[in-house]
Amino acid sequence: MSLAIHYDSTFDGFLSAVFEIYRQRLDVSGFVPERTYEAENETPSDLFAVPFHVETSEESANRLKRAIVNAASKDVLGLLETCFRSENAGIEMDILAYLRKLFAGLDPNYGKNPSSLEMIPLITIARSVRREMDNMLGMVRFNKAPDGMYVAEIEPKYDILEMIVGHFRGRYPNGTWAIIDVKRCFGVYYENYRTHFVTVPDPNYISAHAPPDEFTRMWKSYYDTMAIKERLNPRLLRRCLPVRYWKHLPERSLSGNFQGRSDSMQTLPSTVAQANALASMRLK
Amino acid sequence: MDLRDKLNILGDAAKYDVSCSSSGSKRNSPKGGMGCGHSSGICHTWSADGRCISLLKVLFSNACKYDCAYCVNRRSNDIPRATFTPKELINLTLEFYRRNYIEGLFLSSAVIGSPDNTMELLIKVAKELRLVHHFGGYIHLKAIPGASSRLLFEAGLYADRSSVNIEIPSDRQLQYLAPEKNFASIYRPMNFLAERKLEYKTDKSKYSPKFLPAGQSTQMIVGASGETDFQILTLSAGFYKQQQMKRVYFSGYVPINADKRLPVITTKPPLLREHRLYQADWLMRFYKFEYNEILDEKNPFLDPDLDPKVMWALRHPECFPVDLQTADYEMILRVPGIGVRSAQLIVSGRRYSKIRLEHLKKMGVVLKRAKYFIYDNNVPRELRKLYPEMIRPLLLTGKPKSDQLDLFDNMPAALPAPQPSLTQTS
Repeated sequence: MSLAIHYDSTFDGFLSAVFEIYRQRLDVSGFVPERTYEAENETPSDLFAVPFHVETSEESANRLKRAIVNAASKDVLGLLETCFRSENAGIEMDILAYLRKLFAGLDPNYGKNPSSLEMIPLITIARSVRREMDNMLGMVRFNKAPDGMYVAEIEPKYDILEMIVGHFRGRYPNGTWAIIDVKRCFGVYYENYRTHFVTVPDPNYISAHAPPDEFTRMWKSYYDTMAIKERLNPRLLRRCLPVRYWKHLPERSLSGNFQGRSDSMQTLPSTVAQANALASMRLK
Repeated sequence: MDLRDKLNILGDAAKYDVSCSSSGSKRNSPKGGMGCGHSSGICHTWSADGRCISLLKVLFSNACKYDCAYCVNRRSNDIPRATFTPKELINLTLEFYRRNYIEGLFLSSAVIGSPDNTMELLIKVAKELRLVHHFGGYIHLKAIPGASSRLLFEAGLYADRSSVNIEIPSDRQLQYLAPEKNFASIYRPMNFLAERKLEYKTDKSKYSPKFLPAGQSTQMIVGASGETDFQILTLSAGFYKQQQMKRVYFSGYVPINADKRLPVITTKPPLLREHRLYQADWLMRFYKFEYNEILDEKNPFLDPDLDPKVMWALRHPECFPVDLQTADYEMILRVPGIGVRSAQLIVSGRRYSKIRLEHLKKMGVVLKRAKYFIYDNNVPRELRKLYPEMIRPLLLTGKPKSDQLDLFDNMPAALPAPQPSLTQTS
């Protein structure tokens, strides 16, 4: 009888589950991560699979990590973790298929081969996760709160907040700042040279306290002047800067000629909706 | 005039400068300050024309004393003029940087007073950012043609990258369109900076000061004067080799001034030509092509229908099909549809297993193009030869078109269009 493995949606949790699969020789049909939010494309649940819960155990996860490093390399372990951050439907089964081949030991060079049929899709997934991470380095937009803290909201497709924190720590070492992943309801808070990961129950509460200021408006008008009218290219724009990011970019989401603070907060969602509707119309 | 108006005027005046890269410089945040250099550069946003915005690109002033025909800021144009004060500009840069809007500052200027005077103002801004505010972000300073070498050298100590724009790819045309400039006055600062950078490069110590860590770049306008693509590529290949340029940018001419020396004002910017030139530029920088392989005296223009890599492949049928199991990395790179990443993956993966079509598909190779150029075991021996005249139409349409089925294409329409009868009666 095939099982649907329930685990706590962390990478360690997944590795513990794989460990248990090997230890108890389980027959697996799928994984069900227990997330508090909805991922981009949720795995459809298998009606006939029997749910089976695996507790996360750091010890077994570490054992498995060591085994992966020994059989393949440190890079492969990093690559698997990056893939896991994609939260794609069925990514766990892809990783499991790779690990099965790796530990089967039929081909001693399997761990080094970057062009095996199991590895190539993982490489392409990891590539798109890294691409979003690289893009996000530029697309985090801080707003200044009255108490001098800088707050940013992001809504990435993949779970990449932890991957970008180091960059911002190096960039603003003396400031106080926070980046919040609105979708996953958690954030990072940096103060006095320390980072803390915090859960954020209501993300809107924080952003309401750091509304756009004069510099945000200057940035928006600067952004508008930079476009050369004779070369307008909405398709290229959407390819480089996908519409799903526009919501948290003031230069795309702020309306051009608002005055006060209070009405700016109200106009914000409607302009985004308008822009999105327009973009989807053009796509058709 | 408040700061926002100034920013709009001076940003608007700077937008025709193409260069906006923030790559090539790796720097940790200075003690007590903020900002770092990211070696591959970071794009922060894209404007509505699809160009990346990564630096705060502004002019220090647009009150120019020159009168170049192609430039929007020329003396004879009636446009609003503005000038920043160094303090305003520094504050703006820091505030934008703090909010992660930008990667740094791209500072250029129209010539106010004398070139030396202008250059001093630019250096003042960069110096204050670096020394007073401990700013570690990216700074791109324009070298003003005609500025003294002492000032150019000082600019190189604070800036990450410097650039002098050549704008018009031939000396005669340049002197015709911009009477105050010539090639010599543009090459002089370029060569000076390249030489100084070489001197600094020999000093490998971690603590020695850096000189233009991200090198130089330049830009040329495409389509304003009648030069060929071959001339443009030859010139840019020279820049990469001799002046050690990091980038050469092409800017399709956007008609902004009505001038009898220039194309008429209603001309559309040659976007496709610009795109093909960038593709050729990529071939030179990442695909190990020489400029004279892409074009030559006999074919001085790039093909608008097919990209330069395909064109090269079609001109060299003797090099294909390529056997991916044994070919050199350089040769695999030359197969249309295979990029740098796939080529690396093929070379590192073929040690362990045979590379088959399914591998290629998963790697992201564009099989639509690549399939005509790679060796396939299933194809009979006598067909393993490349016939350019057969493949060209296939690449253009994407799928083979059968002539046999088009029975009705060449038939006359059932009802001929009514002829105007007036001419017959008269």
